[in-house]
Amino acid sequence: MGQVTNRTGRGTAPPRFSLEAFLTWLRRHPEFGAFAGTVVVFIGFSITATRFLTPDSFAGILTVAAELGIVAAGITFLMISGEFDLSVGSVLGVAAMIFALTVKAGWPVLGSWAVALLASAGIGLINGLIVTKTGIPSFITTLGAMMFWRGILLAVTKGFPIQFFPRTLPPMFFALNGRFVGQFRTSALWFLGIILLINLILVRTRYGNAVYATGGNRDAARVLGVATNKVKLINFVISATLAGLAGCIQFARFLSIDPTRGVGLELEAIAAAVIGGTLLTGGAGNLVGTLFGVLLVGMVRSGLVQSGAPAYWYQAFVGLIVVVAVIVNTRLRRWALG
Amino acid sequence: MSDQPLVQMVKISKSFGTVQALKDVDFDVRHQEVMGLVGDNGAGKSTLIKILTGVYPPDSGEIYFEGKKVKISSPKDARDLGIETVYQDLALIPLMSISRNFFLGREPVKQVGPIRLLDKRKMDETVQEVLAEIGIRVRSPDEEVAILSGGERQSVAIGRAVYFGAKLLILDEPTSALSIRETHKVLDYILEAKERGLSIVFITHNIYHVYSVADRFTILEHGRKVAEFAKADVSAEEIIEIIRSGHKAATEGEERGPSG
Repeated sequence: MGQVTNRTGRGTAPPRFSLEAFLTWLRRHPEFGAFAGTVVVFIGFSITATRFLTPDSFAGILTVAAELGIVAAGITFLMISGEFDLSVGSVLGVAAMIFALTVKAGWPVLGSWAVALLASAGIGLINGLIVTKTGIPSFITTLGAMMFWRGILLAVTKGFPIQFFPRTLPPMFFALNGRFVGQFRTSALWFLGIILLINLILVRTRYGNAVYATGGNRDAARVLGVATNKVKLINFVISATLAGLAGCIQFARFLSIDPTRGVGLELEAIAAAVIGGTLLTGGAGNLVGTLFGVLLVGMVRSGLVQSGAPAYWYQAFVGLIVVVAVIVNTRLRRWALG
Repeated sequence: MSDQPLVQMVKISKSFGTVQALKDVDFDVRHQEVMGLVGDNGAGKSTLIKILTGVYPPDSGEIYFEGKKVKISSPKDARDLGIETVYQDLALIPLMSISRNFFLGREPVKQVGPIRLLDKRKMDETVQEVLAEIGIRVRSPDEEVAILSGGERQSVAIGRAVYFGAKLLILDEPTSALSIRETHKVLDYILEAKERGLSIVFITHNIYHVYSVADRFTILEHGRKVAEFAKADVSAEEIIEIIRSGHKAATEGEERGPSG
């Protein structure tokens, strides 16, 4: 560190290509690793799975990636501010259940949807208040929340799924997760819109700067005047609300929901964020990385099946990718910092 | 120089539970001077500064800034008054870019439709200029602070205070983790900030570092002010002796030195 070789003259460096310039660029773009991984896996499956390169196959990948990605977007935002949320899978289940029960009871769909999102936001607020007021690590707080809300879900439904098969599907269901071109679903549009919006907030607004600072060094951020607790609280609410949205979107696809919906999703979302270069300790990452992380996970899921591998291999494969991705990201970073 | 001090802290007391951290401490900083705040570990230096910067409320006592009585209840209040603090380990956030750090909490924005976006261009240009003035060379203001050395980080933090028009700059152990060469750079930069009209409080253990740049010294011990000197009236060795030997030497010192 502090090597003279890192520095070129004062002022902006002339735009020329060199290894040094590339390293500088790499250091500022942790999402590159996930992008490269996505390309490699994409090429791999294009060879091993004959039907991989078809519109239907892409649509299948996007459908999986979108629902996971909406959750992972919120998780990434929260992780950058230095906190975890392990309860997103349970929140997804609770939101889907509230949505299903109220729609079945004849509520207007928009109203049901709003209530499901509000309930999710409420759970996020409780998580955030517990973490910021008591100082208990969010890992513990949201582990408790994960078990608590899953338990409530199981108790209320007595373990039975809830189904909703109306004669005509309400337009809101189409908006949430209908097919709009071939097998492509509107959930992909929600996903891309949310990724873009959150990334814009993160990278180009004052609030985004406060989020990075809060996760990067909370004490330093605080003495520099950042309201770190407020940032965390808001991000807990955003993370939970997006999990709730994903729950509603998933219900609109299956038209049925069982109380184990979303089990294990929190870890998959964290995995996607980490593959995308988000630091587990906070302070660094972005949504572009998460986008590729989620696409990678989605591709692995459908690509393995299409390649004829039993679906059981999926988890093992994703596990492998997470560890490799973090090793590569860390090495790259250290190497680039010189 | 106006005869009224820039900051005056009067009879400040603070205790944490049963521990009396400060007892009736008077402390003042004049316009455009470097005040060395020295004392052994646990003397109350940090507590006094944290009261001045709004981190802790005092139990009793008053603070005057530019002659007006003020209540400073948060770091932001202090900043709004023009009091900037550079903490040893908390000056900058290593994972963030230099320009994001520089403007943290005070980012320039431009209105784009319904939202206000960071004015990245202005941020980068400003930081580029400030870095050039300090003499730090980096490829881009978008580089992470992690690539800067300890001295460069201190200098950037001081440059930030100057840029945002600070009137009082508080430096908490700015040189304690630096190499000799870097220490000299930072000390020079402190004098430059003074030339520009700032007042500086320099908190340190290292009497030799502060002695070379300070105009006056305040010595704390066990939460009390034991002496205050103008530089002309005391040598670095004498200050060290007072801190080392405690109150007795200090009383002698007070008889000699001009008391605040």
